[in-house]
Amino acid sequence: MTIDTEPAVTSPAPVKRGRRRKQISEGAKAERRLGWLLCAPAVIVMIAVTAYPIGYAIYLSLERYDLRFPSQAKFIGLSNYGAVLSSPYWWHALWVTLIITAISVSIELVLGMLLALLMHRTLFGRGTVRTAILVPYGIVTVVAAFSWQYAWTPSTGYLSAMFGNGAPLTHTVQAIAIVILAEVWKTTPFMALLLMAGLALVPEDLQKAAKVDGATAWQRFVRVTLPLMKPAILVALLFRTLDAFRIFDNIFVLTAGNNNTGSVSILGYDNLFTALNLGIGSAISILIFICVAIIAFLFIKGFGAAAPGAGK
Amino acid sequence: MATTARQKVGWGTANTVAIFLALVPLLWIVSLSFKDPATITDATFWPKKWTWENYRGIFKTSEFTRALINSIGIALISTLIAVVLASMAAYAVARLSFPGKGLLIGMSLLIAMFPAISLVTPLFNIERTLHLFDTWPALIIPYVAFGLPLGIYTLSAFFREIPWELEKAAKMDGATPFQAFTRVIAPLAAPGMFTTAILVFIFCWNDFLFAISLTSTTNSRTVPAAIAFFTGSSQFTAPTGSIAAAAVVITIPIIVFVLFFQRRIVAGLTSGAVKG
Amino acid sequence: MKTFARRVAAASATTILLMAVLTACGGGSSGGRVTLNFYNFPDNSGAIQQAADTCTAQSGGRYKIKYNKLPSGADGQRQQMVRRLAARDKSMDILGLDVTWEAEFAEAGWIREWTGDNKTKAEDGTLKAPLQTATWKGKLYAVPYNSNTQLLWYRSDLVPTPPKTWDEMINMAIQLAKEGKPHLIEIQGAQYEGVVVWFNSLIASAGGSVLAPDATKASMGQPAIDALTIMQKLAHSPAADPSLSVQMEDANRLAMESGTAAFELNYPFVYPSMKADKPDLFKNFKWAQYPSVKEGEPSHVTIGGIDLAISKYSKHPDLAFEAALCLRNRDNQKVAATKGGLPPTLANLYDDESLQADYPFRKDILTALENASVRPQTPAYQNVSIVISHAVSPPTSIKPDKTEHKITSQLKDALVSKGLIP
Repeated sequence: MTIDTEPAVTSPAPVKRGRRRKQISEGAKAERRLGWLLCAPAVIVMIAVTAYPIGYAIYLSLERYDLRFPSQAKFIGLSNYGAVLSSPYWWHALWVTLIITAISVSIELVLGMLLALLMHRTLFGRGTVRTAILVPYGIVTVVAAFSWQYAWTPSTGYLSAMFGNGAPLTHTVQAIAIVILAEVWKTTPFMALLLMAGLALVPEDLQKAAKVDGATAWQRFVRVTLPLMKPAILVALLFRTLDAFRIFDNIFVLTAGNNNTGSVSILGYDNLFTALNLGIGSAISILIFICVAIIAFLFIKGFGAAAPGAGK
Repeated sequence: MATTARQKVGWGTANTVAIFLALVPLLWIVSLSFKDPATITDATFWPKKWTWENYRGIFKTSEFTRALINSIGIALISTLIAVVLASMAAYAVARLSFPGKGLLIGMSLLIAMFPAISLVTPLFNIERTLHLFDTWPALIIPYVAFGLPLGIYTLSAFFREIPWELEKAAKMDGATPFQAFTRVIAPLAAPGMFTTAILVFIFCWNDFLFAISLTSTTNSRTVPAAIAFFTGSSQFTAPTGSIAAAAVVITIPIIVFVLFFQRRIVAGLTSGAVKG
Repeated sequence: MKTFARRVAAASATTILLMAVLTACGGGSSGGRVTLNFYNFPDNSGAIQQAADTCTAQSGGRYKIKYNKLPSGADGQRQQMVRRLAARDKSMDILGLDVTWEAEFAEAGWIREWTGDNKTKAEDGTLKAPLQTATWKGKLYAVPYNSNTQLLWYRSDLVPTPPKTWDEMINMAIQLAKEGKPHLIEIQGAQYEGVVVWFNSLIASAGGSVLAPDATKASMGQPAIDALTIMQKLAHSPAADPSLSVQMEDANRLAMESGTAAFELNYPFVYPSMKADKPDLFKNFKWAQYPSVKEGEPSHVTIGGIDLAISKYSKHPDLAFEAALCLRNRDNQKVAATKGGLPPTLANLYDDESLQADYPFRKDILTALENASVRPQTPAYQNVSIVISHAVSPPTSIKPDKTEHKITSQLKDALVSKGLIP
């Protein structure tokens, strides 16, 4: 991973191959110990909670194990993965997931940036604007999804009445559009918050200097502000994409995945909890994880050159 | 610089549009909560008949109040622990060099990425064995574990931006290490820490999967899970009014929390010595 | 702002203290009489709590029945129970199961068989169809608590004599549409369990079934095609509600109350609701048997309901059997019928005159229950249900021959839980 900036205070330890041990100074050793010590509690908690479950999930994915037919459980290696990857349900769900992720994250980035600028720069009513913008993120997701579902149900919802009562939640494309709308409304505040905090760290003086030099507002934004915000943008984009790919609550409440609107998480949930097929369900989970890992890897590689060293 | 009327109108319009888009769906929920159950299926935005019945209904038994207390307590404790642990780790990541840093980052990302649906059942088994099932720690521990990656990433991104030389400069100006830290560094770290606190709190507050799987009674059931137990007037009727009323009630602490913390972010920015 | 060290110390101490206190507090039960944990759907009417209290009092101090609520949706209830049964949780005794879960729970080894005296008591006076839902591979695994079945509800001001068959009803609706009067037929068409009930009722009324009796392969065939033809005909006729593809039971009730519909296929909960909400329409609100498919033959509606089973991991199975039998005895089922509106499973209750005020249609429900059909009984029922619901909803997409073929071929894999479900 690329978060490896030069430490600002202590001297770097010279590291030569083969003579490593002799060359490390006392200062560097102390620094190392402090580093490990500070990280230890977080690492211990994370490992203690997730090591067994993740290991167990991987193990289950290699077994044919359906809770309803317990006597038939046996080890079958990678057959579950074969079954999943050759199933049209998996590929359709993946396609739906990728579309929702790409569209919603793009909209949220642009909208989030606009809202961040608003929250940071607006002349009056900052407290009100900030609170109002952040509130959607704080509403319990299933409740928000329920209110959207109700709004779009024919003859009981106001949005449905506005658009002709055509039961949009049962048509695949329209339902996915509604899911994206619900996602964007709910999580743009997340982006906006992180981007605003990133905006706040851009020194005012650089902006003023650029203005004095004759740059337009747009130029100032693109040339001065954006580059300095790159780390905040990376964190916001990365986590938002990872979460968007694993979308579950909104789809579950709005359509329950019916009419071909299911994401990969819904597919995993159905096979794990409804069909009680632990082998297939775990295999789907591992595959989701692999997809997400690939996305994260691409992101960090893409931003990697720009992330460290910013702001100095 | 004097603000022109045009600027005021411009920003005012932008404010209004943003607030409107953010709050209209929320107002729909508020409106649903005040609709009389007989008229709840009218397709009107505002209720034809206003009533407090939905609110009375959810507070009739102590189940919802208990769930509210559980939610607030569990979320606050988890946020506190997660932010403390994440700050320590993020400080180390941003300022110190030590082997295994990449591994830490990678591992936290791995945990953030793993689908929670397959982790729920093994976690349930562990907690049952440890007799933690259906207690506050049953939820606090997973929330801390899954909130840490977000916290570490966010905080290390912020900590990297802080000009740490200012601390040295303050010491040279005669401040004690403690004063240098609290007067110079802490205000600069505040925005990041409060941002992280808000994000982790809302993550714990919103969670449904762990809440419904790792609890079974009002001892530790939080609000999202409690809503799944609401019933309508018959087994086929959705308890829309009750859910809407519950949603309004549980959004109020969020509004308070956000109002409180967003001011802290601003305070942190304006009192810091961000120059040059 | 405190230093990190102090905050860490304070936080750690608080957490450890809190955890210690909570861990010590949880899990110590009072000594003395046995507590039997009864898990069932959340009941607002108070009938279940009343039954639990009555049976506790009648136990003579030997046990106390604690009524624990499960989530209000059937899927949520099943998940909670499955998770804990799979973990061999000893703290559940009596389980309220939906009528489609018995085969699954029995095959997984989670519920106990009813034998000997308990079995005799459970079967005594109980209606046939609910008893069938509690049976798997010839053994009894639960005792029926309540049942539920659909009737045909219609407006007598529009329809002087109720139709006897589906074709007749659809033709009546088309005629009403031509006359410009309310003419919709309300039925559940969304992609969920309700549409499976509709399909199953039709195929049973056509003389067939989804699965062969041994539940190892599909049956389907011509009766399935007949059933699908009816569904397709309705979906494409003016009698279909525009929201058919998204409607569940409550939406049907609301549509009927709004006055746009002439017919409704729904559960008895619509009766008290119409009475309270729309007294004008209620004057002409009548009921009849579910329409049949074949002329002259009665229909075979598919039933719902709850059966009570005993967990394999219960620490007090003998007491639990006794408590379950008490919870569903005549008196308690009567309370459930009057307070909760749930049809009983004991035949002689339907003769009880005191139910007349709230349950004037009880004789028709009895007839329906005596001719009733049940949904396919297999441990893989969830898979079967998903295959069917995805194939027949939205109903406008049905093409009888193709759809029958699609369901039959997908059932083959579904029954052995092969591959993925959507």
